[in-house]
Amino acid sequence: MSTKNTDIVLSASEQRERRKQILYKILPVVSILLLVALWIAASGGESSSFPSPMDVYDRFLRFMEKPIQKLSLWQHILASLKRVLIALLASWVLGISFGILIGWNKKANALLGPIFTAIRVVPPLAWIPLITIWFGTGEFPKILVVFLGAVMPVVVNTQAGMSNIDQQYLDVGRIFNANKRQMLLDFAIPSALDAIFAGVRTSASAAWMVVLAAEMLGGKSGVGFLITRGMDSGDLPLVLLSMICIGIIGAILAISMQLIERGVCPWTAKKSN
Amino acid sequence: MDGKKVKLSLEHISQSYVLNNRAFDAVQDINFDVYDSEFLVLLGPGYCGKTVLLNIISGLEEPVDGTVRLDGEVVKGSDPRIGMVFQKTSLLPWKTVMENVEVGPKMAGVAKEERRKTAQKYIDLVGLQGFEKSYPTQLSGGMKQRVGIARAYTNSPEILLMDEPFGALDAQTRYSMEEEIQKIWQSEKRTIIFVTNNIEEAVYLGDRIVLLTNRPAHVKAIYDIDLPRPRDTVSPEFLRIRKEISDNTDLAL
Ligand SMILES: Nc1ncnc2c1ncn2[C@@H]1O[C@H](COP(=O)(O)OP(=O)(O)OP(=O)(O)O)[C@@H](O)[C@H]1O
Ligand SMILES: [Mg+2]
Repeated sequence: MSTKNTDIVLSASEQRERRKQILYKILPVVSILLLVALWIAASGGESSSFPSPMDVYDRFLRFMEKPIQKLSLWQHILASLKRVLIALLASWVLGISFGILIGWNKKANALLGPIFTAIRVVPPLAWIPLITIWFGTGEFPKILVVFLGAVMPVVVNTQAGMSNIDQQYLDVGRIFNANKRQMLLDFAIPSALDAIFAGVRTSASAAWMVVLAAEMLGGKSGVGFLITRGMDSGDLPLVLLSMICIGIIGAILAISMQLIERGVCPWTAKKSN
Repeated sequence: MDGKKVKLSLEHISQSYVLNNRAFDAVQDINFDVYDSEFLVLLGPGYCGKTVLLNIISGLEEPVDGTVRLDGEVVKGSDPRIGMVFQKTSLLPWKTVMENVEVGPKMAGVAKEERRKTAQKYIDLVGLQGFEKSYPTQLSGGMKQRVGIARAYTNSPEILLMDEPFGALDAQTRYSMEEEIQKIWQSEKRTIIFVTNNIEEAVYLGDRIVLLTNRPAHVKAIYDIDLPRPRDTVSPEFLRIRKEISDNTDLAL
């Protein structure tokens, strides 16, 4: 192949690459516009009971003036977020520790693994009646339900990561005469971090889902409560407004998890750059 | 042999595994001595059991039979006097180049400042200055092998096991790495046991070559290579030895 030829091929492929890049920037915008258009179409017509984007925006403005249950929209969002964050922190600390214990120590796994599996197969929402009987309807029982939903994926992924460590890393530890503590802290846990973070990511989305469900079942604050309130009072714009908030916050949570992962595991970030 | 001090000896080393309920011999009755400060090459066809043998010498695996002696004493488990450069590099992806290289003294509890000084010396020696803060994923194959070599040297072992360190490199990089490892060995005299399946590489580097058979591996012949270094790979003498060994080598399965 002559150099001239490769030049042409290169620039053509470069052009194609650039066009692709532009396309990938445009497509998401197109899809959101399409969704809004569909929404407007679906809500069109006088008889439609489905609120339009304008109705939802009006509802938003009204909410800003008149709180629900003495709380503004932001305070409701904060109430949900507070529950989620407390439950998440607890689930990470306890879930990762427990996952490491049963993933690394075979005896601990034989002893505690079956108990964990038995608890794990019960969905977190099924705990609500029992937890309500035991702890009433305050803040703590809600956080506890969210914790139960969040801690399961953390434990499962941590355990999987810790029991499937690539032998070559452990061999390095042995060649350099690492003691048991060093083996765990310098070799095993770092090499399981990928798996642990997969659990952390899942826990964030699980916690967000469970908190909404828990709030819908009882409570006087939170975004889940807003949805129930909208439904009970036939206030559909409020329902849609809450759904949009849920979507946006869910996305922000997911992005935050990625940022945390990059902060804790800088080597994975460098790989993708 | 005349005046040479035996550093390491392998006595009747055998290893077998159970595969599908049948005994599977990987290594069979291996005996040879390694002299102090020599560059010994273990040459053998693919899958013949070279890595298994190194794992036994390094204490990662226990043989079903036989003993490894270092300075006359039986070696049990992994010993800090024996270092290893792994076939798969086995760099720790979550550590930077510096953190990978200093891992040996760190495990031994050496203070940070001191172990960093040693690590830096070997990072410079393998030509990686400026990459101390890089992560393994940011390095090329040849650079990763250099990190693996620096990591092994930083722990100051008396014997270095190198498991096909250049096997995954392109020919060009391989030649320059062979030259460099020879220079490093000449400036930092240690005993090296170097595994390869490449005859030219073996004749270029080895003071002696232990030729292994197909699996189960046992010693087929031992060659003394008395050519002056650095060796000329196209000199008649080099080519003659190369052919002699090649004619005596089992074809890989
Ligand atoms: N732990 C093990 N259990 C069962 N079989 C094993 C084990 N370790 C190695 N073997 C087998 O022993 C044989 C020799 O393996 P080894 O890795 O030593 O080969 P090698 O000479 O290093 O080959 P290569 O040049 O490809 O690195 C292979 O057939 C391998 O499958
Ligand atoms: Mg091998």
